[in-house]
Amino acid sequence: MSSRSPTTTLDDEEEALEEEAESPVQLNAINGSFSEEIVAEGDDDFVEDQHFESNSKAESSGVNEEISYTWRNVPEIDEVERPLSPGSSGYAGEMGSTSGGDEINDDDEDNSDIREVEFDGVSGSQSQWVSGKRHADEDDASVSWRKRKKHFFILSHSGKPIYSRYGDEHKLAGFSATLQAIISFVENGGDRVNLVRAGKHQVVFLVKGPIYLVCISCTEEPYESLKGQLELLHGQMILILTKSVNRCFEKNPKFDMTSLLGGTDAVFSSLIHSFSWNPATFLHAYSCLPLACATRQAAASILQDVAGSGVLFALLMCKHKVISLVSAQKASLHPDDILLLSNFIMSSESFRTSESFSPICLPRYNPMAFLYAYVHYFDIDTYLILLTTSSDAFYHLKDCRIRIESVLLNSNVLSEVQRSLVDGGMHIEDLLVEPTSRAGAVSSHLGQPRPGVSAPGRMADGFVGGIGGPAGLWHFIYRSIYLDQYVSSEFSSPINSLRQQKRLYRAYQKLYSSMHDKGIGPHKTQFRRDENYGRSFLFYPVALRMN
Amino acid sequence: MGCSSSVPDRSAGRLGGVNPDNGGANDPKNLRVKLVLLGDSGVGKSCIVLRFVRGQFDPTSKVTIGASFLSQTIALQDSTTVKFEIWDTAGQERYAALAPLYYRGAAVAIIAYDITSPESFHKAQYWVKELQKHGSPDIVMALVGNKADLNEQREVQTQDGIDYAEKNGMFFIETSAKTADNINQLFEEIAKRLPRPTPPS
Repeated sequence: MSSRSPTTTLDDEEEALEEEAESPVQLNAINGSFSEEIVAEGDDDFVEDQHFESNSKAESSGVNEEISYTWRNVPEIDEVERPLSPGSSGYAGEMGSTSGGDEINDDDEDNSDIREVEFDGVSGSQSQWVSGKRHADEDDASVSWRKRKKHFFILSHSGKPIYSRYGDEHKLAGFSATLQAIISFVENGGDRVNLVRAGKHQVVFLVKGPIYLVCISCTEEPYESLKGQLELLHGQMILILTKSVNRCFEKNPKFDMTSLLGGTDAVFSSLIHSFSWNPATFLHAYSCLPLACATRQAAASILQDVAGSGVLFALLMCKHKVISLVSAQKASLHPDDILLLSNFIMSSESFRTSESFSPICLPRYNPMAFLYAYVHYFDIDTYLILLTTSSDAFYHLKDCRIRIESVLLNSNVLSEVQRSLVDGGMHIEDLLVEPTSRAGAVSSHLGQPRPGVSAPGRMADGFVGGIGGPAGLWHFIYRSIYLDQYVSSEFSSPINSLRQQKRLYRAYQKLYSSMHDKGIGPHKTQFRRDENYGRSFLFYPVALRMN
Repeated sequence: MGCSSSVPDRSAGRLGGVNPDNGGANDPKNLRVKLVLLGDSGVGKSCIVLRFVRGQFDPTSKVTIGASFLSQTIALQDSTTVKFEIWDTAGQERYAALAPLYYRGAAVAIIAYDITSPESFHKAQYWVKELQKHGSPDIVMALVGNKADLNEQREVQTQDGIDYAEKNGMFFIETSAKTADNINQLFEEIAKRLPRPTPPS
């Protein structure tokens, strides 16, 4: 999903009240074992072929536990059964507001109307995402508040509100108390509440010591995904305050934490926004900015130089992508920490104004203690983070940054980074099967010339000689567990609209969580289909897990 | 204050903090001073600094995280130059316990409040007491009432500021980062009040 920048995605915060049709379930999972799939899709030879291909890849590869997802179409199939959604009773309706048909459509994967799809790509105005708290005037009595599709709450074990995605926390005291009552009622019975289903709404609970996190959603995301999002939300809070904030509750159970999080609304809202566009939030892997090997090595070697001198972690990032990352001996940086750290820095405007030195906690590294982060922006997208355990290292880190900056300028790393950003990530159309033609198609910032073809021309190339293009592979994500990294292709035709991109994102999310479902899985291979991409197309994302 | 327990103990007792490596201030003609800005969140500390350093004013509020570092050099009439190394600290409660990290070793402290907010004036007094207890003994302190352009909404009288500053041996001024009123004067006045190192005989 590399082509989606945080500001141009179709978020679940759309202002417009859109009509939500009672849409059919889009994704019809046909997972399970190989034989089950044959039974389910026995009339479809293409699927079988596809499956064998996947399996043979798995066997021939010696790499363990790597996952790749692909998204292919099957043009020859026109009609498929469309299972209808099981229920239409809405949370909003049950809460006594108006009919369930006009929810605030903020997580709009559910629009199956093909005609609308064509308008989405150009409706730029509605796709602009603004960070920070919105709808602060709402509370649980507001009709609009009740209709929002995805709520997040953080509250204390005494029921005091700490954070709410929508509405003013203080006005939501009664609602928070209700959530707290549910949790403690179940806890008093010696049990724990994880999930409550109410119509098409899911209420997911996560208890972290004295901190309770709750998500109320009707987005049809799997429970595991929503729980993972609550974990990240908690991690973001730890990053700002460390886990020792729990001690404040030991001293005073009625402690009011909202003031401690003052000014961080933008950090949380941008994280929640990333749940609907950034695959790193569910893959637990980071992605790198594509660069020529020599360019990345130039960056890595200077970071390596400074890492020896009291710097624990040195990260050079471009937006949410890693350019280079170096850690001191024996220390390792968890991908979730990279996600939370880059989200924190990018959503806090003050880092852009000048260099800064701030306490920051990495929840996966050590949730109890602060590290000190020196942050400096080289340009509007590219920034350096130097993390240290020493609170008086500022002037040393400033010197390190000056050294790093001069090396990056002298070896043109910063200009290459800008070029890579403009060129975008990997394009399916460039993935040609013929090894001879592949070289020519690699992006220019990777050191090789790209033939001067326009976008349609390139697509035609792919159609003829490659695996991409309208008749072939449309999109993929590949995640390497060994590297903690993932790579994905840019969205290309026909996945043009933000709506389609979001639906694909959600499909990957579902696929990932079902593949890691301990109850019924894990599965090596599975197929899903989504028949909402066009009258004459049927899509099969293929997931493959090798182990 | 807030979540004081979240500060690792190991850093609290350490001397030095984020100080320049060398004194640097030995040259009486080219002074280099560490300046820290303290005050409640939203009083305009970053706006004061950005007005002074870059001549800019951005009305959209940008919450400072931890502390930002900026520097600016001014020339005085007696041909001395003063390089201010400014720590613009975050006003949020969670950073209060970490303030010593930034004010330790500071030669100058600007304590700012918002003239439309008595609460921020109260907070300023907290910072003055904190610095009297834990700051450098010879620290130069300035009390600054910011947002002077919002005179119609004033809730802290100028006289209250003057009185409090006088009682505590501070320099007092009202500024407006928005209109640039008194911003340069503030830093020039601080520069004049700096203790000069005695030139080597």
